[in-house]
Amino acid sequence: MKFTCSQKKLSNSISIVQKAISPRSTLPILEGIFVKAYKGILKLIGNDLDLGIESVLEANIEEEGAIVISSRIFGDIIRKLPECEVEVKVSDNYLVTITALNSQFQIQGVKPDDYPDLKEVKEYEPVEIEQSLLKEMIQNTIFAVATDETRPVLTGGLVEIHNEDINIVCLDGYSLALKKGKIDSNTEVDVIIPGKTLNEISRIVDNSDEKINITIDDKHVLFDMGYTRIISRLLSGEFINYSQIIPQNYKTRVKIDAKSLYDSIERVSILAREGRNNLIKLNIKEDRLIIDSNSEIGTAHEELPIVMEGKELLIAFNSRYFMDILKGIGNEEVYIDFTTNISPCVFRPIEGDNFTYLLLPVRINA
Amino acid sequence: MGTKNRIIFHIDVNSAYLSWEAAYRLQHGATLDLRTIPSAVGGDATTRHGIILAKSIPTKPYKIQTGESLYSARLKCPNLTVVPPRYHLYMQCSKALVSLLEEFSPSIQRFSIDEVFLDYSNMDIHWGDPIDAAHRIKDRIKEELGFTVNIGVSSNKLLAKMASDFEKPDRVHTLFPHEIQGKMWPLPVEELFMVGRATTSKLHKKGIFTIGQLAISDPELLTQWLKSHGRLIWQLANGLEDSPIREDYPVKGLGNSATLPFDAEDRETSHRALLSLTETVAMRLRDIRKFAGVLSISIKDRDFQSYSHQRKLEVPTHSTNILYGIACELFDELWQGQPLRHLGVRASQLHRDDLYQLSFFKGDIERQKALDTAVDKIRAQYGCDSVMRSSFLYSGLSPMMGGVIQEEEYPMMSSLL
Repeated sequence: MKFTCSQKKLSNSISIVQKAISPRSTLPILEGIFVKAYKGILKLIGNDLDLGIESVLEANIEEEGAIVISSRIFGDIIRKLPECEVEVKVSDNYLVTITALNSQFQIQGVKPDDYPDLKEVKEYEPVEIEQSLLKEMIQNTIFAVATDETRPVLTGGLVEIHNEDINIVCLDGYSLALKKGKIDSNTEVDVIIPGKTLNEISRIVDNSDEKINITIDDKHVLFDMGYTRIISRLLSGEFINYSQIIPQNYKTRVKIDAKSLYDSIERVSILAREGRNNLIKLNIKEDRLIIDSNSEIGTAHEELPIVMEGKELLIAFNSRYFMDILKGIGNEEVYIDFTTNISPCVFRPIEGDNFTYLLLPVRINA
Repeated sequence: MGTKNRIIFHIDVNSAYLSWEAAYRLQHGATLDLRTIPSAVGGDATTRHGIILAKSIPTKPYKIQTGESLYSARLKCPNLTVVPPRYHLYMQCSKALVSLLEEFSPSIQRFSIDEVFLDYSNMDIHWGDPIDAAHRIKDRIKEELGFTVNIGVSSNKLLAKMASDFEKPDRVHTLFPHEIQGKMWPLPVEELFMVGRATTSKLHKKGIFTIGQLAISDPELLTQWLKSHGRLIWQLANGLEDSPIREDYPVKGLGNSATLPFDAEDRETSHRALLSLTETVAMRLRDIRKFAGVLSISIKDRDFQSYSHQRKLEVPTHSTNILYGIACELFDELWQGQPLRHLGVRASQLHRDDLYQLSFFKGDIERQKALDTAVDKIRAQYGCDSVMRSSFLYSGLSPMMGGVIQEEEYPMMSSLL
């Protein structure tokens, strides 16, 4: 096997497939990158059995073949090379020779025969979605994915595709994030995609309006961007019936600019952080919102004008969770609906319903 | 604080564990006072806990050391009376001490289970001359609680602490700045607070053997040799210390560890030992109304190699079951399969337990809390062995281990200077 290709393209493909390679795998061959040269293209694969990523790039193939090369070493070498044409040659005993300008490396590769195949996914009709939309939907929900394994389904995000509607829902014990989007599809399917997969996808897709194809079967999901394909295991089990925990009514409604609220809370939380529990208190008055925090080293106080309807309320939150949500909402006005100071508050858009966030408060003086 | 008129007391219980045990026994009809004979609080050698935890003053001629094995202690003193430790008794006595002291000043800092600082500044309007008051406090403790204390009186915490360490038992000593030269400087340098074994040998190499020699050394040179610690101990040697009495959040962390009666060779036994330790640690957390923010475990194998592992908790808690689950996860990540003789569980970064993040799954948390509260109540009334988990039956392990009480970590004066 022998090929030449540009350092930049090769390095880029390596970093994409490396997202699916765990540095310590129970199967040593999975610590390597599968490299296959055929029919004028070069295919790289990284796979940890939960998540597999395949990247295809143009190369000048002089001799077809396949090899598995240590991901860490191969990645480090290619990344450190200058921008130039790189030649990779593999001898019959899987010795890999990498040559570029003044540099030459020889490393031992591994026979590719035992490398596990990526799962084929074909069941439902593929669904098309814009890359930028998918990226935004993931980024604005992923923070609410559970990190502990107590309820394994919650370590993933629920993706609901109901014809032209797509929802992503993430939920840990304390907050819920729901984003809605529009797509071209006539499929109805609900799946739970592992949080790690969603994270990697949001990093790989770009902000373009180019489409990405999603194909789903019972156990796997395939994200196909043509040159990059991401195949992930799905989480099995029932997701929590999330619509049941979203309160429909409220006793206090606040209308506020999400960005200014974020900025205020960020400032107040400088002191909340010191108290270790990130505690901030919101005092909702008729015309203003008072945000306080105090810790051993001092106190912080902010006041913001609001439009309020309903009863005044004093309620406490973990500022970190609150800011995650406001960041997801971005630069727009938002309704925040409260019932009591021990029940969830709900963040809703002023118009439409393209997001819903839920956050549970911190109970004080229990 | 920090005014010229500060008066600080340091109250130190004489041979605390042993005195408390002796007082308890006398109150329950014993005729022999353990404090009057060579005696010690020690673990049970048959379950491999055979070390001296505390000793009576009459053992002094035998040169028995805290921490040495019972076997070697008995060689030195064949008629030594050894009694087992009782953690609950110690907590009760410590609490009784603090509540008596609270009558004399609103500003009290618990420094460890048997040491308390009391700010007497401006209290003379109520209770008179500090030295007289110290004597009255000392005598009331002896009369009402049945054990003796030493009280050190000075103008800061360090000097008060040094003073209470002078002649024992049942004494009041002063160590005001003008007395430093006469009373503190002649002492060996290792008697100074914050001078441990490692620092002592470094100082000895430089020819510094007394606190006075340290005090007149060049602080710049000490800083070069010993970094910031050098400057700190120089300040202490000169009696310079002005940290306030800290009433809030006195405890930084607490933990229990135990040597098992037999080596734990499998995961299940180790988990059970962790459960037993967690029962004790979690109960103590609930007792002081604190959540653990960080949980750590430590293991010691047959070759006495120690390892530890810790995790910051996403949601602080003092639930026995939740902490036990985390302890097991930590153990599984840490353990390499070797037989273990000693395990420990400790909680740190403690938070108040009266505010907590609500959860969608709060049913679980509320149920755990109700269970823990019920078990704690039963144990408080009928003793720790009145309720136990059935997994400990026939396991050879005690359901609530904590053989060695790890010294509570109270904020050190040094870290607050």
